[in-house]
Amino acid sequence: MRRFMFASSMSIILSSTLLLASSQSEEIAQLKKDVEALKVRDKEMKQSFEGNSKAGFWLAGYAAVDFSSVENGDSSFSGTKFAPIFHAQYGDIFQFEGEVEFTVNKDGSTDIELEYAAGTLFLNDYMGLQMGKFMSPLGQFVQNIHPSWINKLPSAPLGFGHDGAAPTSNLGIALRGGLPKIADTRSNYVVFISNAPSFGVADDGDVVIEAVGNTGSGSAYIAGGRYAVNPIGNMEVGVSLATGDITEELLSGDSIVRDYDVFGADMVLNIDALNLRAEYIQQKIGENELSLLEGGTWKTWYAQAAYQFSSVNLEPVIRYSDYHNPEVNKNQWALGVNYLFASNLIVKIAYEINKDEDDSVIDSSANNNRFLAQLAYGF
Amino acid sequence: MNIVTKIALGALTLLFIGTSPVSAQEETTDLANGAQLWADTCMRCHNARPPSDLTMRAWSFSMNHMRVRAGLTGEETRDILAFIRASKTENDKQ
Repeated sequence: MRRFMFASSMSIILSSTLLLASSQSEEIAQLKKDVEALKVRDKEMKQSFEGNSKAGFWLAGYAAVDFSSVENGDSSFSGTKFAPIFHAQYGDIFQFEGEVEFTVNKDGSTDIELEYAAGTLFLNDYMGLQMGKFMSPLGQFVQNIHPSWINKLPSAPLGFGHDGAAPTSNLGIALRGGLPKIADTRSNYVVFISNAPSFGVADDGDVVIEAVGNTGSGSAYIAGGRYAVNPIGNMEVGVSLATGDITEELLSGDSIVRDYDVFGADMVLNIDALNLRAEYIQQKIGENELSLLEGGTWKTWYAQAAYQFSSVNLEPVIRYSDYHNPEVNKNQWALGVNYLFASNLIVKIAYEINKDEDDSVIDSSANNNRFLAQLAYGF
Repeated sequence: MNIVTKIALGALTLLFIGTSPVSAQEETTDLANGAQLWADTCMRCHNARPPSDLTMRAWSFSMNHMRVRAGLTGEETRDILAFIRASKTENDKQ
């Protein structure tokens, strides 16, 4: 009897197991079919969204949130920036890109600025014809380093912000691209013609050069360019020049033009995880006897070193910058540490040691040191 | 205006001498050159983003952007794109 019961139990267990195994293998087969069907549907959906057409667009950009604590001054969340960049292209023949920058003011209002909006027609492998408002190609910082997720410190070097010594944008036409290798050395170039910048007194009383790509330059233009070589792969040395006119509106409402010249030199070198960067740029304004404003030279330079410890995602940074114009002589040391959650998601903290060399700055806080923190994301 | 005119004429001359139809360009790519350019050129300005960060379509926009900003030739741009495509996993290539 016991044997019978044991045999019966075993046969029930065995048949149940066989049935279960058979059912599971059917389910696995069905799941495999479902996964394959989903893959096909996923591919079809992607093609329906993106297609294989030559025309299309893509939204990229960057965003940042800043905190600052000023010696003898305020501590606050000092700004937030959202800068979407719209890219549209037709194959590899034409691309348009435009960046709009949204920033929050102290009173909570929002500033909106069209940083650039330009189309580039790729004429051949070595020439792109760019038209519109484009970031100034003179030097490196303004054009390539200013986005928050790229700049290794929360602030720009002295004189490399708006109305500083470095031109920020141009409205005109440029021819640019990479050149064929010469003796195994790569090089690239930009030549441009654009509307002239303007010169005058800003709302805060400072005499400023507004090299920001405007449409009100009358018939005044500037021409210039940058040529850069890569003597070794991870190094670039560039020289920038521009010349032409700058416009000024007199108190009488009449417009005059003055001579305007720009010279710049820049260098970057990567040695393993060490990034070394330096740049000098100056804008020179000629005299005009009809104007009450004196001309002169607005010049600035900076040198920066950063090292990435990839094992701990930390990157210490040190930068010195020095800015001079006819009214201001300032310098600054900035020391910072970045933590990289990802290559494009970075938390930065920094301490700036600011020095007004002759206490000439209208803003009395120019000597105050600052602690800065920033969360930056490039997308 | 004189110097502006001269530069404009020089640029136009260069343009006509150097222009060739885009469709006539060779489509061959050099993966090793793309990898080297990827390592050298991207890191000069910013942290290099891994190929898996973007779809290939997004990379094509990004590389046209960098062709302008970094002064790359068309051939160099195609080499870097080929390297990115080769670096992406099969599931990641869409």
